[in-house]
Amino acid sequence: MMNGASHRLVQVPPGVQCFVGAEARRRRRIEEAVISVFEGWDYEEIIPPLFDYADVFATPGLAARTYSFVGRDGSLLALRPDFTSLLAKIAAGRLAHVAPPIRLYYSGEVLRYEPPKAGRQSELFQMGLEHLGGDSRAADAEILAIAGECLERLGIGGWVLALGHVGVFHGLVRALGLGEATVDVLEQRMEAKDGEGVRAVLAGAKASGPAADALVRLSSLAGDRASLAEAARALECCPDAARAVAELREVADALAAAGLGERVAIDLGEVRGLDYYTGLVFRVYARGLGFEVGGGGRYDTLLARFGRPMPAVGFMLGLDRVALLLERQQAPSADGGAPAEPIANAGLGAALKQARARRAAGARVRFGGEAR
Amino acid sequence: MSLTVALSKGKLLGGSESLFRRAGLPFPDDPGRRLVVALDGLRFLFVKDMDVPTYVEYGVADCGIAGRDVLLETGSDVYEPLDLGFGRCRLVVARPRGRGSEARSSTLRVATKYPKVAGAHFLERGISVEVVRLAGSVELAPGLGLSDCIVDVVETGRTLEENGLEQVEDVAASSARLIVNRASYHARRDEVGRLVDTLGKARS
Repeated sequence: MMNGASHRLVQVPPGVQCFVGAEARRRRRIEEAVISVFEGWDYEEIIPPLFDYADVFATPGLAARTYSFVGRDGSLLALRPDFTSLLAKIAAGRLAHVAPPIRLYYSGEVLRYEPPKAGRQSELFQMGLEHLGGDSRAADAEILAIAGECLERLGIGGWVLALGHVGVFHGLVRALGLGEATVDVLEQRMEAKDGEGVRAVLAGAKASGPAADALVRLSSLAGDRASLAEAARALECCPDAARAVAELREVADALAAAGLGERVAIDLGEVRGLDYYTGLVFRVYARGLGFEVGGGGRYDTLLARFGRPMPAVGFMLGLDRVALLLERQQAPSADGGAPAEPIANAGLGAALKQARARRAAGARVRFGGEAR
Repeated sequence: MSLTVALSKGKLLGGSESLFRRAGLPFPDDPGRRLVVALDGLRFLFVKDMDVPTYVEYGVADCGIAGRDVLLETGSDVYEPLDLGFGRCRLVVARPRGRGSEARSSTLRVATKYPKVAGAHFLERGISVEVVRLAGSVELAPGLGLSDCIVDVVETGRTLEENGLEQVEDVAASSARLIVNRASYHARRDEVGRLVDTLGKARS
């Protein structure tokens, strides 16, 4: 029978999630595995607040997707839509006395106003880290190696790190002096790897010459590490873009030297993402999941917003997506542990005494003794 | 594991079949009522045209063939590496022949199968709009008083003419696109790359 009132009360809002039993346990195991890798590379945990002043998150890419609200004192607050801005603020404030490089990791929920779609929920659980200050190329290589180790530790198969660099696209666009409206459409066609679309937008903007040709080529410049050599040739015309490719090559070569060459994919047409990325950007893809498992990039200008300019790079894995991927790639394991011992209820005091004794001996007990 | 290709059983089916055959790729002779057909190393899914981008975006299919009109409407996050050149048509605004450009009320009422595209088209131009979503026979709407105008695809314009409508504005040009799932593009680079090359060489 449908009871109107109670039916309304159990309804859930779109985008929220709830995990019970085996599913919750699986998520906890994933979180533990990833954290152990983060700690193995000497990153320190940080547990930031769930909400902060809204202007902390006021970058164009995030502002529209932030749940904000007015505090009792009239200030505009927001539920954290990502960790990176929050950690940048903390590094510039609370941790101002700590000398760089600062290595921090986090694991927790972020909230974003997004319709649930293709692996996106309003509540996302992210496990990630930020490397603030220090040598940039070394930091890029370090976080990519950590990302790789996380995937290995989780037993994920068929994964790749798809590397790009926002400096390639931006370098070419700057060289052509294109207007903002054109760049927006261009970015969108570039993201779709629609070479003919890119050509049409450039023709419409009367942009031509080697930089325009290079932009068209860029839409399909993807492949293995060797495609970076091809890119370097195609981008000789534009020093900014060529410098970006050289940076990427240094990092990709380091990964190859460390045995991760097969895992590296190059994707110079990758321009999507939050507006704060300034250099390396990457996405983690794996067989069996149609969207990225995680990703990250370099954001050298974000810390300056908070008054402590320094280069920074970070990455995160989406726990929801890792769990979905593992569920598809691996047979379910019986991870429930040994069955609990029933504690028969022969008088409450005696039963409780017995239960405490068995617990002290490390047993798993089920108090009250009813069958499972 | 073979690549999965999502195709529509609608107007793009003929063009898709001749493209695959020209490219020397397998294509099911007559899928009949079967919706999943495995053939010589490819697996075909036959779905509604508006659903093709969804199957590809979620990675259930590695690639697919979808009209640009459909991609504009669904706004799916997929790669579109090839314009396949067939299925050319235009999305246009059409209204009853001879009627003035002004709406009968301050809010323009538009009937369409493409509510997102139609809504955005007018709103971007500062025109308030009420979008009436229909599943088909959109050309009937203005004549029967359901809407002031329509946004629909036209190939030759004959259907519009027969229903007393004329094109007044272009919204977008469309043609069939090869679309590829973002993860498949990278995680199955070799197989996907071969398919893109083969189809790219065979397109008309």
